[in-house]
Amino acid sequence: MNWVPYGPKGLLFRFAERVGDDAFATGCAITAELEQNPPLGMIEFVPAFTTVLVRFEREDQAAAARVDLLSRFERCRSATPPPQSVTEIPVVYDGVDLERVAELHQLTTGAVAELHSATLYKVYMLGFSPGFPYLGDLDARLHTPRLASPRTRVPAGAVAIGGEHTGIYSVEGPGGWNIIGHTKVKLFDPSREGAEMFLLRQGGSVRFVPTSE
Amino acid sequence: MDVFRVEAAAMRMSIQDSGRAGWARYGVPTSGVMDDHAAEWANRLLENPLNAPVLEIPGSGARLGFLCDAWIAVTGAKGKYPMWRAVHAQAGELLEIGELETGLWTYIAVKGGFESGMRLGSASVYPRAGFGELLREGDVLRAQKAEFALPRGVSARLAPWAEQRDYSRPPTLRVWQGPQWNLFSEAQRNRFFAQSWTVSPQSDRVGYRLSGEALAHEIGELISEPVIPGTIQVPENGQPIITMRDGPTVGGYAKLGVVDERDISWLAQVRSGRGVRFQLVNEI
Repeated sequence: MNWVPYGPKGLLFRFAERVGDDAFATGCAITAELEQNPPLGMIEFVPAFTTVLVRFEREDQAAAARVDLLSRFERCRSATPPPQSVTEIPVVYDGVDLERVAELHQLTTGAVAELHSATLYKVYMLGFSPGFPYLGDLDARLHTPRLASPRTRVPAGAVAIGGEHTGIYSVEGPGGWNIIGHTKVKLFDPSREGAEMFLLRQGGSVRFVPTSE
Repeated sequence: MDVFRVEAAAMRMSIQDSGRAGWARYGVPTSGVMDDHAAEWANRLLENPLNAPVLEIPGSGARLGFLCDAWIAVTGAKGKYPMWRAVHAQAGELLEIGELETGLWTYIAVKGGFESGMRLGSASVYPRAGFGELLREGDVLRAQKAEFALPRGVSARLAPWAEQRDYSRPPTLRVWQGPQWNLFSEAQRNRFFAQSWTVSPQSDRVGYRLSGEALAHEIGELISEPVIPGTIQVPENGQPIITMRDGPTVGGYAKLGVVDERDISWLAQVRSGRGVRFQLVNEI
């Protein structure tokens, strides 16, 4: 566990060196800790795979909270993983990059779908765009580098692989991940209120269910 | 009340306020005005709350027709109309954002603030998430009705000269050390601060791309970490990208530094093709 300043009013804590079960459990425990007991003046916190950014309204508040947060986060390292709330997401494996991904790994497209849907994924974090989940751990046989040049338009609901992770595009926009399928489930719904807009949460679990339509 | 009708729209003009901090953990960018200094002065001149929704206009080409008498203030990029002052506009008048002398973003505040739906605590438009829409020709902008008058005997209210910025001469922008500061060599760090960087045409509300003598490094792609407006990321091509208001909440490139939040307004107003310099403000 260490920290570096992130501008004068921000603290970036690094709680793990690599992505995995330990980082997941610690990250979720830190989020719970910050939600239950927010330090004075915290305007925002942003959890990521192995780091969490805590932002304050004022510099002196960041300085005052530093030592206390470090020891509180240290205690989060022995945390047990959060209870799993599994969200099932039906997927049609028909993405524009499916065949290329299959060829790259010398698999059939059916085998890609099978491997991809066999894992119970952890939601490590939401980021990139509203409600976009970074899911892991992806079967090593499916690790696929991102596109050299991102597409300018990827539809919402695209299920994709980016490096060692998989995710679901939550809104339409540019994107560089390999699209292997699509879902009709809405990851982000701006017509709902507050945090209800987001289907998934850091700490949740996702199971992809192959479907034909 | 209906304040004005958009007779001609500039590309990507929208209603913005001070943004929606607090939602980055769900992947929602902060949004909000690109130049908070100019937007706040527009509101201050009219005695609005400083975070009241304002109209943000990039570049030139917008034309607004007033539908009623209204107190407004125009700040930001320098155009050929009264700026940085409270102005009483009358029904039937036209305000045209023509050729701009300096800067890029124009702000218009109206007494009472523009009406705009609140989403996650902010009126800032962020079309990608369906939070409002960009303005188009024919749209009518409404404001809360609010009384306003200059004190008796006062015929003008202006922002102090020192606050009316000349965007053609930005100061050297302040930068704090970023999370990967120590992974860059001293030579690379010096190179970042020694040169004038050119703002690339591929710059928008999401991010400003800089071009110059490359900061070659072999740090590679990192595990994605939080980014905020002002974060300076350096991809492998060595040409920095600075996250702006609508930028993503996480990023995997090496983060050399963070532009001080007080200087983001200056950076925002640097047009593509123009230069900008940076200075280090902290030592760990």
